[in-house]
Amino acid sequence: MVSVSDFAGRDVITVNEFRRDEIVFLLDAAAQFEQVTGTLLAGRVIATLFFEPSTRTRLSFESAVGRLGGSCVGFAEAGVSSQAKGESLADTVRVVEGYSDLLLLRHPLEGAARLAAEVAQIPVVNCGDGAHQHPTQTFVDLYTMQRECGRIDGLHVVFAGDLRYGRAVHSLVSVLTLFNARITLVSPQFLRLPEEQRRTLETLGVEYREMESLEASLPEADVLYMTRVQRERFTDPTEYDKFKDAYTLDMSVLQNARDSLAILHPLPRVQEIAREVDVHPHAAYFRQAHYGVAVRKALMALILGHADKVLA
Amino acid sequence: MSETYLVNKLRDGSVLDHLRAGTALRALGALNLPPERTISVGIYLKSGRLERKDIIKIDSHQLTEEDAAKIALISPHATLSLIRNFKVVNKIELHPPLRFRGLIRCPNHACITRAESVRGSWLVMEREPVSVKCEYCDRTVPSDLFRFG
Ligand SMILES: [Zn+2]
Repeated sequence: MVSVSDFAGRDVITVNEFRRDEIVFLLDAAAQFEQVTGTLLAGRVIATLFFEPSTRTRLSFESAVGRLGGSCVGFAEAGVSSQAKGESLADTVRVVEGYSDLLLLRHPLEGAARLAAEVAQIPVVNCGDGAHQHPTQTFVDLYTMQRECGRIDGLHVVFAGDLRYGRAVHSLVSVLTLFNARITLVSPQFLRLPEEQRRTLETLGVEYREMESLEASLPEADVLYMTRVQRERFTDPTEYDKFKDAYTLDMSVLQNARDSLAILHPLPRVQEIAREVDVHPHAAYFRQAHYGVAVRKALMALILGHADKVLA
Repeated sequence: MSETYLVNKLRDGSVLDHLRAGTALRALGALNLPPERTISVGIYLKSGRLERKDIIKIDSHQLTEEDAAKIALISPHATLSLIRNFKVVNKIELHPPLRFRGLIRCPNHACITRAESVRGSWLVMEREPVSVKCEYCDRTVPSDLFRFG
């Protein structure tokens, strides 16, 4: 049985360190936190160490802290931080942990959050470490599926776009293996899911298929997870130009899908979802961003040991 | 037959035997050796009816635990014998541990261990040949990509 004590003081570095029952517990907690505001985190200080800008993630966390009556200190990009003066990450963490109860870390290098957690006495939440992991994004994606489809178990999820470099996709695919999901991977050859990930799916006996046609992938899908082809992941700009418009979801493509298809996207989008889709009743990507506040409220309250006041 | 190449018996020194055939030069490159030692290297020596192996003999130098740990990653099942006064004073078969720190550098340029002064932390994923996973960035590294030091 999972309880609030399993989360108190815990670091959140990768999704893979969470068992299925722990994830379910967190998502249940998020549902109960959706409407909660007040002073649960009064007097608590949350440090936001963002060594690279990520406005969306930072605002979502800051909103969650504000809704629960806590406060934030920190910085939003490396240029204004001590790193610009040559201070090591480990030293920055040692200083800032004395000012706060919880560290939220965004860093361009992979494994930065694990290092910070080793150094810090207070809990650390990874808010994205390079191309590696962004666990709260994955929890938000799962929560969105739960909210929009009423369940996660057994859903047929189509991933489309950049499956090679897309960090959100890698994490979500690996966690969905815990929920008996059916997985369809839609991408050009060049942007296929990495071999290591595909092998993991095979080892776990997860049912998945790969296709290049978005239209053909949709008829049986419950969820479509669209992604942006990220310019910053390509070293060769001509490669980026070749693939940036690989897929565009518009109303004519959606003709192939069930009416109930839930459309998710980690945002920001560029052109891969046409504006006309925004009015689709199951276009969930803006709600998905908003659900992030509920998930982060629940997670922070759990880690800081205050969630029992809300959870039934 | 297999040992006819050997110039003479060691009085003092270290012998790495049963190295996986073809790994001797990589093994030699990974060792921390003092200058001007006599070293004999045998590559693709016959060992048994069908088997082949490599051997390294180092005169007047005792290999360290760190050296042994590196060899265990390059060639599991190799043996290390330390020799003093023509006698084998210690002989061990080398096996990779389940987990270790340091020894190799993460090949992922975007890994935090390349930027901060922190020793790598490794989980052994496969034992023969060895592959390991960086506990910081989760990159899996096969043994032929190990960079020691
Ligand atoms: Zn690494």
